[in-house]
Amino acid sequence: MSAPSVPVIAQTAGKGAARAAQRKRNKSHGGADRRPGWVTYVVLGAFILISAYPLYFTFLLSSSTSAEVAQNPVPSLIPGGEFFTNLQRVFDADIDLVKATGNSLIVAVVTSLSVVFFSTLAGYSFSKLRFRGRGPLLVFVIATMAVPTQLGVVPLYIVMRQLGLTGNLLAVILPAMVTAFGVFWMTQYLDSALPYELIEAARVDGASMFRTFWSVALPAARPAAAMLALFTFITSWTNFFWPSIVLGTQNPTLPVALKLLQAGFFQDLPLIMAGVVLSIIPLLLLFVAAGRQLVAGIMAGAVKG
Amino acid sequence: MRRSTRKTWVAVAGAASVALLATACGGGSDDAAGDGDSDGQITLTISTFNQFGYEDLLKQYEEEHPNIKIEHNKFGKSDDAKEQFQTALGAGSGLADVVGVEVDWLPQMIQYSDQFTDLTSDSVEGRWNKWTTDQATTPDGALLGYPTDIGPEAIAYRSDLFAAAGLPTDREAVAELFGGDDATWEDFFAVGDQFMAAGTGPAFFDSADALAQGWINQVEVPFEDPDSGEIIALDNPDIREIYDTILSHEDQSAGLKQWEADWTSAFQSDAFAVALAPAWFLGNIEGNSAGVEGWDIANVFPGGGGNWGGSFLAVPTMSKHPKEAQELADWLTAPEQQLAAFAVNGNFPSQIEAQQSDELQGMTREFFNDAPTGQIYTDRAAAISVAPYKGENYFTIRSGLSDAFNRVDVDKSMTPEESWKGFEDAVAAIG
Amino acid sequence: MATQTAPPRGAAPRSDDDRAPRKIGFKQTLGRWDVKVSPYLYISPFFLLFAVVGLFPLLYTGWVSLHEWSLIGGQGDFVGFDNFTFVLGQTFFWKALRNTLSIFLLSTVPQVIVALVIAAMLDANLRAKTFWRMGVLLPYVVAPVAVGLVFSQMFADGSGMINSLLGQIGIDPIGWHKDAFASHIAIASMVNFRWTGYNALILLAAMQAIPRDMYEAATLDGATRIRQFFSITVPMVRPTMIFVILTSTIGGLQIFDEPRMYDATGLGGSNGQWKTVTLYLYELGWNKQQLGRAAAVAWLLFLIIILFALLNNFLTRKIASADDMSRKAKAARRETRRRSRDLARRVKQTSDAAVPAAAPIEVDPR
Repeated sequence: MSAPSVPVIAQTAGKGAARAAQRKRNKSHGGADRRPGWVTYVVLGAFILISAYPLYFTFLLSSSTSAEVAQNPVPSLIPGGEFFTNLQRVFDADIDLVKATGNSLIVAVVTSLSVVFFSTLAGYSFSKLRFRGRGPLLVFVIATMAVPTQLGVVPLYIVMRQLGLTGNLLAVILPAMVTAFGVFWMTQYLDSALPYELIEAARVDGASMFRTFWSVALPAARPAAAMLALFTFITSWTNFFWPSIVLGTQNPTLPVALKLLQAGFFQDLPLIMAGVVLSIIPLLLLFVAAGRQLVAGIMAGAVKG
Repeated sequence: MRRSTRKTWVAVAGAASVALLATACGGGSDDAAGDGDSDGQITLTISTFNQFGYEDLLKQYEEEHPNIKIEHNKFGKSDDAKEQFQTALGAGSGLADVVGVEVDWLPQMIQYSDQFTDLTSDSVEGRWNKWTTDQATTPDGALLGYPTDIGPEAIAYRSDLFAAAGLPTDREAVAELFGGDDATWEDFFAVGDQFMAAGTGPAFFDSADALAQGWINQVEVPFEDPDSGEIIALDNPDIREIYDTILSHEDQSAGLKQWEADWTSAFQSDAFAVALAPAWFLGNIEGNSAGVEGWDIANVFPGGGGNWGGSFLAVPTMSKHPKEAQELADWLTAPEQQLAAFAVNGNFPSQIEAQQSDELQGMTREFFNDAPTGQIYTDRAAAISVAPYKGENYFTIRSGLSDAFNRVDVDKSMTPEESWKGFEDAVAAIG
Repeated sequence: MATQTAPPRGAAPRSDDDRAPRKIGFKQTLGRWDVKVSPYLYISPFFLLFAVVGLFPLLYTGWVSLHEWSLIGGQGDFVGFDNFTFVLGQTFFWKALRNTLSIFLLSTVPQVIVALVIAAMLDANLRAKTFWRMGVLLPYVVAPVAVGLVFSQMFADGSGMINSLLGQIGIDPIGWHKDAFASHIAIASMVNFRWTGYNALILLAAMQAIPRDMYEAATLDGATRIRQFFSITVPMVRPTMIFVILTSTIGGLQIFDEPRMYDATGLGGSNGQWKTVTLYLYELGWNKQQLGRAAAVAWLLFLIIILFALLNNFLTRKIASADDMSRKAKAARRETRRRSRDLARRVKQTSDAAVPAAAPIEVDPR
């Protein structure tokens, strides 16, 4: 416990030394760092298999013909050979996939960034700053989550009409720019992850309130922020109900556009599921990218300088 | 170094958000409120769901009317379209100039008829059968929608299962078996008894509630009094007769609920031999029965004729261009255009002239043993004389009755008598 | 809830916390204005946005609930609290409430427990961390339409996979769509499928912020892993636990998508076996056009959720104070605090305060 922490090393001996210290720590055989036993891997493996099954099922359906699906509602575990045919049918459908994907991307990126920024800001304030009315205001934030959403649709639509935003992506972005969920999450996370002393130190050094937030709270919030960004992105990406109502299909997001594949009295499951798979691919790519970020988040937050 | 990257980020974010606000979000789609018609150029919006088959027709209309630009807002399922329809009506704005509506939405529209334009016009005189337009006509005689397609009903049957049970298989003979032109529901269940007596395994029909739907579609006044608006469902002897008759033949039912997974997979397991088949239903049978042979269609229906489903085009009063919108709806629902749409989506046109066209008459369907579907469904459409009166509570009552059937037929959790009590509760809860 | 979610947790830390801002106040030359206004400024985006897109709908709903109001036709007569008394007099409402609570308990309780265990496993020094962490989030990317289709196929009473699997081990088929309790289990498993991994990742983020040397010290003391889990991990992630429990409670009581997708009709079964409060609300408002009554249900549900949140809060506090482990955690916390103060002192000596600012989470040695 007497060993200086990595940033201190970074300060005093440079980044290279810090990295070396980090590596050394990674290899240290302290209790918490011991590799877990096989039980952990088995349990996690089983959990992930169950988690992945519906996704795989979706893929199986998308790689079959409709006749196969009708004859065999429980597909065999080996994918059929029709995936690209079905994908081609999605591309051939009367859907502007490029526009829909672009719209989804704009909405998801903007809402993720804005939710993370504003939620961290508010969470920092709620968890670490003293001000009159803090408690009641936080309760109010949480209470807003308890408002059932189904009923808010009509008044929210009226608001968007008044603002002249129906059919405009802002109608979807605006209500999602900062969420009670995000604020509450950041409050709770920073509450335990950010010691007061650090804020003090920065303030003692003469940093302004915002600079303290920017250079102390924001880096500390990084792992939680990455998680919040990922969640917000996915939620936005799969959101259907409100975009369908307020955007219509002239300027749709991806789920709204893909819903057109369900038109008709008979459900063409392989076609629908090919659309679903297509919409999931960007998320899986995001997983690969964000996954590293999430895992590396903590280390990076510490050593980077 | 650090500072400058941060600044860059802030600048990028700032620039991006401004750009976003300025341009990216509009998607080029002005809604009905925003289009100017200074030079006589107007934009009409039309919303549809499922497949109305209008893509090429709308292009053609634009070519023929250079001053009109059409935006087509297509929804997937009718439920998605309905949610948007209701929200926009509730909010008082946001509907398209021409709105595709399902027959099921008409009771609501009639209730709030001031929100829709009366489309009565000489140019559509005699285009449809009276019962068709009656569904969209208010008590004052205003026509709120032009019918596009209808769902006349026939009987679809499995000739192979009929053969196994020793019944005739030929579609003319089967039509006779069910009673021919004078077919009754009694005849229908008598055939069922014959079929079940052979003990070949499959049940006779798929779902009690589906039969109920077919039957209720023939009752002129099922649930509510058209004059007083009073709910008469519980005292209506017709309804009670439907309920008792169908459930007394529970032994003939496969006990399935339409559209559920079990029902869909039952097409593969030879679970039933007969289904009531509106014209639009054929695609469903065909899709679910891939690999199964033996489906055929008999030109007969118990109680004569009945309509199940269908769509309309309406023009809401919130439209900025009601005149042009009505013209478009008129043009789209003319026989020629609906025949073109029929070629795309296979929905049976509601126009008398379209039904009598050679194109429709000559149509057959390979999967159903090359049945002359065009001719069969034209006959079935001609046999329809009434469409039931649907008041504001029609769907609440209908779904309560549906639940009552399914508790007995599917869940098997109640006796018919217990379940009827549940129906009474559901009706009472309308309050 | 107020005291719950504010940082101070025990008597000792509170005095510590309270002192912090005052120190800042007089020690440095920063404008008081900055200190006073900033907190409000930082939370203002949420409240501004809420005022536009949240408050109006909320008040509107309240206004609607006091009127006879048709979804399409709009405002009718003022009826006072008639809508509320009507709804409370309906057996359907109470049945819906019962179903909601049943599904809520069947989902939230196992979900939080499993999420906690999975998070603790993910927090261990695994090989291929990224794979495991992202793997648990897979259910969350599947579009609702696919989830609905897959689960309705799996839980189909006659042709479904689950019943045929049960048949193979000699268990009679279960009426997943007939029996109320069976349908609750099926719907709860849909919920758990979608949200367990999600909550596990949330808890994981909190666990990562626990200083690793706390575990090292405990190991030196001879504490087993299980004991470390209960005496360090659980108390240290308490604020996040509260977050997870509270959001799961709110989400669980508002459950809508899963029961709606559970059959083709989407209204909760022929005998209302899985009609939840939000489904009832939807049925009233959108199928029966009785928006006034639907609004009354919305407000009642809102009050019920608040009630549960308070109950939750009360219980978690009760459990926490009864737990002697938490004393250990408090001691550990004090230790962390001391060490970070130490660190902060060192930081002060360096020229750029911004750089090591991120130090406390660095304590994680990985």
